[in-house]
Amino acid sequence: MRMIRAVLSVAFRQNMMAMKPAGRGAPLMLFHIETGGCGGCGMELRALASAPYDLGGAGFGLANTPAGADMLLVSGPLTRMMAPVLQAAWEAMPDPKGIICMGDCALDGGVFGENYATLGGLERRVTIDLRLPGCPPTPTDVLAGLASLLRGDVQDDLPPA
Amino acid sequence: MDALSLIRGGEPTATPWRFRLDELAWRDLVEALRADPLPFCGLWCDGTDVHALFLVRDEPLAVTLALEDGRYPALSPARAASTLYERAIYDLYGAEAMWARDVRPLFDHEVWPCSSPLAARPGVSEARSGLAVFQPSERFATAAGAVDGWGPASGGVSPPLYVAFTQSRGLVGQAESQSGYAHRGMALRWRGSRVEDGCRLSGRVVAGQSVAHQSAFCMAVEQACGQTVGEQAGLARVALMEMERVLHHLYTLADMAGRAQAPLVAAHCMMLRETMLEQISPVTGSRLLMDCCRPGGVRLPEAERLGAVCESLAGIGQAAHPALLELWESFPGLVARLKGLGVTRAEDLARVGLEGLVARAAGQDCDTRRALALYEGLWRYTAGRQYGSAADRALLLLDEVAESLSQLARLAPRIGDAMPDREALSLPDAEGMAMVEGPWGRVAYWVRLQEGRLAQVFCHTPAAAALLLFEESVKDQPVEDLPLVACSLGVNAAALDG
Ligand code: SF4
Repeated sequence: MRMIRAVLSVAFRQNMMAMKPAGRGAPLMLFHIETGGCGGCGMELRALASAPYDLGGAGFGLANTPAGADMLLVSGPLTRMMAPVLQAAWEAMPDPKGIICMGDCALDGGVFGENYATLGGLERRVTIDLRLPGCPPTPTDVLAGLASLLRGDVQDDLPPA
Repeated sequence: MDALSLIRGGEPTATPWRFRLDELAWRDLVEALRADPLPFCGLWCDGTDVHALFLVRDEPLAVTLALEDGRYPALSPARAASTLYERAIYDLYGAEAMWARDVRPLFDHEVWPCSSPLAARPGVSEARSGLAVFQPSERFATAAGAVDGWGPASGGVSPPLYVAFTQSRGLVGQAESQSGYAHRGMALRWRGSRVEDGCRLSGRVVAGQSVAHQSAFCMAVEQACGQTVGEQAGLARVALMEMERVLHHLYTLADMAGRAQAPLVAAHCMMLRETMLEQISPVTGSRLLMDCCRPGGVRLPEAERLGAVCESLAGIGQAAHPALLELWESFPGLVARLKGLGVTRAEDLARVGLEGLVARAAGQDCDTRRALALYEGLWRYTAGRQYGSAADRALLLLDEVAESLSQLARLAPRIGDAMPDREALSLPDAEGMAMVEGPWGRVAYWVRLQEGRLAQVFCHTPAAAALLLFEESVKDQPVEDLPLVACSLGVNAAALDG
């Protein structure tokens, strides 16, 4: 039992001081979940969060916990093992919130498709607020997509000013 | 009799480097392996047989045993790394390893709609819902200290893995990982696919190592076909593998520096990587060098510029490298933080059979490049680190960046602006096997072709041994350094889970 509790308590460990930003002007916080891909989308996200790209300057930050996030950023095909982890992350996020799918895998399963271990992508399962196709999408593509969020495409879903 | 004689005394197969044993001879082999240091590379199953792969002076030597009532004698009593393969084989095929050291599930945590999904007749099972339950070994369950964990969703960018650990006074006691979160059924996807599609999949086993995987895959297919690619295509593959090593090592250094509270150093590594990518990506068509290799050759949108890019990368990298090294060594607290961290002991390296960069940083002389004809005139041993700590691994990563850059400089005039040739492959019913030195160590592929398609693919990476080594090396380390130790050892769930 102590093991089960250990898994549950750390899957989304409340570390640091991450808080949901108060509103417009604060960065839009993204909680990234890799749901079982090759890690390529994650690598491009890391590149985007590093120099010479300026993710912070563009108005975005990476949250350490779902509770401190505005948007869930998903990459990789959804493996059956990660599905409940994704669900728990979503439920831990405060409203209003949204979902970004980064990469072909997160959208429709990509090269991995659907089988005994993966459910494919999120496209036919949930409402996606931002699609970032590619295998993987480049940091520039991702930044352009994210910028479209701030331009108002799903502005109504974001924290009020 | 020694292990080698036992294997070679088996029944020859159509594949010259693979022999078939009966169960008694296999058991004798397991006994012999307890004392024999024959390097073990992996164990896989095709539903009918199990196959174990060994290396003799960097050449493959495989041994096959027919499953009897779905069972076979385990190799794990003699080779610790076999544990992970045996657990995977049970989860995927339902084949049971008798006298195995560890029989906990590896991938199948009862969330799949069936059991033994790769078996001829998969079992029916009722998928459980909810988070996968961590199943500790007996040793872990009885260990003292509070239990904590890391993953599988910590907001980072790495593929998902869960590590449970006991801790006391801020130090890790026992650590044990639970994998399967990134298992996406690669073996099933490969089965029956066209070789081009199989190659695309192999490039997505683990990002950042795509050229190594796709090169080894293509070379294995070509070996099965009894064909080799022309000189220019071979040189192009070497150039791509060395570019990948430089990009991978810079990324890993940035990751380590970031986790060790040296953001400035991390930024420098990533900036240099991006500067190089500006040159590389128009030629390769992919920033992660995915799909640049194809069976029979390479696939490059601007192949005629490859030689020029090698030269330019060598120039950019060699100009920046001394400053990066100096920054690494002088950044306040960085080397001190890594020194003595995650030290790999020689006996653990031998026990799990890990080669590659991690072993080289502990003073071992192992590099697949030495045995590859492709590297003739290019390869030289990168030595000088021997204490096996995260600090040694970081400095070896930096050494290897410099070494790969000088290889690119030597390759540039040989590649020039020649267009790499492409071999048309005729696909017989045959097996092939090939290996290359990936960024973390040996990447090997075994393929079986049938009726012009892939019947079976087995892929060996250093990931299984790296995970076992990580569980040992993280003991007594500060809890907050657990992700840093993992990253310095090349622990990667995508490569492990497949
Ligand atoms: S979309 Fe491509 S790069 Fe991203 S996780 Fe999937 S296979 Fe990897």
